[in-house]
This record gives sequence, structure tokens and C-alpha cells, in this order.
Amino acid sequence: MKIVVAVSGINAVDNPGPGTGICKALKESDLDVRTIGLAYDAMEPGVYMDNIIDKSYIMPYPSGSREAFIERIKHIHSVEKIDIIISALDAELPIYMDIEPVLTEMGIKMLIPTKEMFKTRDKLRLKELAETIGVKAPEYRSCTSIRDLHDSTEEVGFPCMVKGPFYEAFKANNIGEAEGYFHKIAMAWGYPIIVQKFITGDEYDVVGCGDGKGNDIGVFAIRKMTLTKLGKVWNAVSVKNDRLIEATKKVVSGLSWRGGFEFEVLVESKTQDIYVLEINPRFPAWVYFAAGCGINLPERMVKLLLNKEYETHSNYDSGKLMIRFTNEMIKDIKDFEQISTTGET
Amino acid sequence: MDRDKLSVLAISDSGFIFDPVTGHSYTANATGLRIFELLKEDKSEDDIKSVLMEEFETTEDEVSVDVDDFIENLKKYFLI
Repeated sequence: MKIVVAVSGINAVDNPGPGTGICKALKESDLDVRTIGLAYDAMEPGVYMDNIIDKSYIMPYPSGSREAFIERIKHIHSVEKIDIIISALDAELPIYMDIEPVLTEMGIKMLIPTKEMFKTRDKLRLKELAETIGVKAPEYRSCTSIRDLHDSTEEVGFPCMVKGPFYEAFKANNIGEAEGYFHKIAMAWGYPIIVQKFITGDEYDVVGCGDGKGNDIGVFAIRKMTLTKLGKVWNAVSVKNDRLIEATKKVVSGLSWRGGFEFEVLVESKTQDIYVLEINPRFPAWVYFAAGCGINLPERMVKLLLNKEYETHSNYDSGKLMIRFTNEMIKDIKDFEQISTTGET
Repeated sequence: MDRDKLSVLAISDSGFIFDPVTGHSYTANATGLRIFELLKEDKSEDDIKSVLMEEFETTEDEVSVDVDDFIENLKKYFLI
């Protein structure tokens, strides 16, 4: 019998969600998987990628009614008999953390952080976290008004990074630019806006997964080679950096992290000091890169949840390149009609 | 000069150098490549200069500039 895994974040757009990478990794694993896409919009590309996503459903927004969200999952579960949900979007994690006991009763398993873990990796608590894992955190201030922004930029200095609570970050060279980014981010993602000291260096990322008992089930590190204007990694190279891996393992053990995560750091050019930038509480959009190099974390997560044997090693080659590219699919308007009118493919 | 890092670098005959720890890559010309080899053999800077003078049939002044610049760059990129 196929294992049914529902995956969100199938918006493979210019600010890509991790869902399609997760599904691709699962389809290439040794598991016999039926993948279900949980979309929030009929135009999410994953809805149409029937080579890796067997069926898709439109979900109600996670910011809406909790009951409507549960009802929708109940309906999908009644049809699909979901074994596992892999949540891949920051904005929906709070509702999944809230309803996990309900899902467990329904027989659906998830490996996600607890509310306490989720709070600990909050951008506003980075300094605390950095101390715990023995790295540095860039100086930052939290702003909810233009007055705060002025005070913060005076303290932090220019250039600085202006960041949203969930997504987006821009480098501001003066107060005019900072104000522009402040409004732009607040309109899209709300408050608080974070003003962070700009540090010259290279950005590195580590993807991993914690078992919730202080152990990781595999980690994989990259250096970002090129980024999009939204700051998303476009090309990357795999690296074997012991200091980075050690810091990542401290995150997992220190927080007893449960679920997928992305550990984003910057290594300062002048000092080679590691600065933690962010810990994203889910797999990143480039998670397939790790799978393609032998560290298939979605597969390991599914096996862990189903009490199957899984690998935990992090043995991979450095010097492997990830080349992301744009692509087009030609579909019929009937496909759009189907998902738009019935909410499923 | 700490040369431990040189042993982990992947250096191809074409002069392409990849640092698996930082993910950075560099290209070196024939002279740079030879300096790399000699550094890995634990030769002193003076020995390296002597070898290059002989192999490239050039003056001590020219070789000194090349070796000093190259080693300075390696330090700048944290390769030694």
C-alpha cells in the first residue's frame, strides 16, 4: 500500500516554497509514495506538476478559521487516507502546531517543532540563541513605527539590513531606502520590522532535520553562490565545513529540535566569525539539493514517523553544484477550471 | 605560515582550485600552480623562489614579486 504524504508550499515561483522539492525527493526515494499537494492558490505551479504531485487540493488560508482548516484536512483525509503531512511554510506552522493533537487522533503524523521551539528561533531572540550555540548574532533592533526605524538605524548605522517578520530582507544604504523597505515589507508581511547590522561576508545555509530528542537525522551545508533579488538562493555549492556543522548540531541538541529546518549563517570576511542570521522552522526550497547528494531528509522524516529504519549519516561530497532554472509547462484551461471550481485536481 | 589548509584544497591540472570548506573557487596560472605544489611540499619561500628562477629562467626580482604577491593573496583568502 502506498504511503500518502501531503505536502504544502508547492508554490514553485520566484520566491519558491519547498513543497515541490520535498515531493521530488520523496518520489526519488525507495518509498512507495502518493504525494498530495496542499495549495493556497489555483496558480501554484505544483498543482500542475503531476509528475511529482499525484493530486492537489486547495486549502483555506491558515490565518482564517481553525475549524475550516481542520474540516478541509478531514475531507482530504476521508478521500486520501493521509499518513503524514509535511508543512513547508512558516506562516502555516502555528496552526499546524495548534492542531497537531487533532491530526494525531485522525491518524495523521507530523514532525514539526513545538511552540516553544518555534519561539526560541524567532528573529527577535537570535542573540540568546547565538550564545547557546556558541556563534555570534548581528546587532539588530525591532521596529513597529517609523520613529523606531529612525532610532534603530541611528544605533545600528548604514548600510543595514531591513527584514520582515517572516520573509524578505533588503540592504538599505540610507534612511530614504530604509523607509521605503520598511513600508514595502510591512504592507506584505506586517510587523515587527527588523533592522540588522550589515556584515560583509559569505552566506551559508545548512538544511537538517531533528528527531525531537536532541539528535539530527542528517545535515547538509551549502555556500550560496547567487541570490535572487528577493534574497533567495539560486545557485549553490555543497561544502564540508566542520565549524558550521558543529554549530548546527548544537542547534539541534540545544533545542531538541523536532522537524526540518534551515540554519542560515554568514561568515564574516575579515574575521571568519560565524553569525547566525536565521533559523527557518521547515525545510528550505533547495531541500532537493541535499536529496540529490544522498541526504534525502524528506524520506528520512517519513521513515522516522512511520517507525521504519532510516539513515542518519551526513556523508556527502563537497563541490556539488545546484543550478536552479526557470521552466514552462503547457496545460489545458480545463486543468485550471478543475482546480478553480472543485478545489482539487 | 599555516599550510594545513592546503592539503584539503582540490587542485586540478588546469589550475582550478576548490576549497571544500568555504565553497570558494579560484584559478591559478602555471606559476601559481607551481607555487602551490611547492608550498604543499613544505618548501620555504626562499626555496620556492630558487626553484622558480631555475624552472622559468627568470630573475630573482621578478620571482620575488610573483611569490610574495601570490602568498599574500593566499593569506587574504584564508587559504594559508
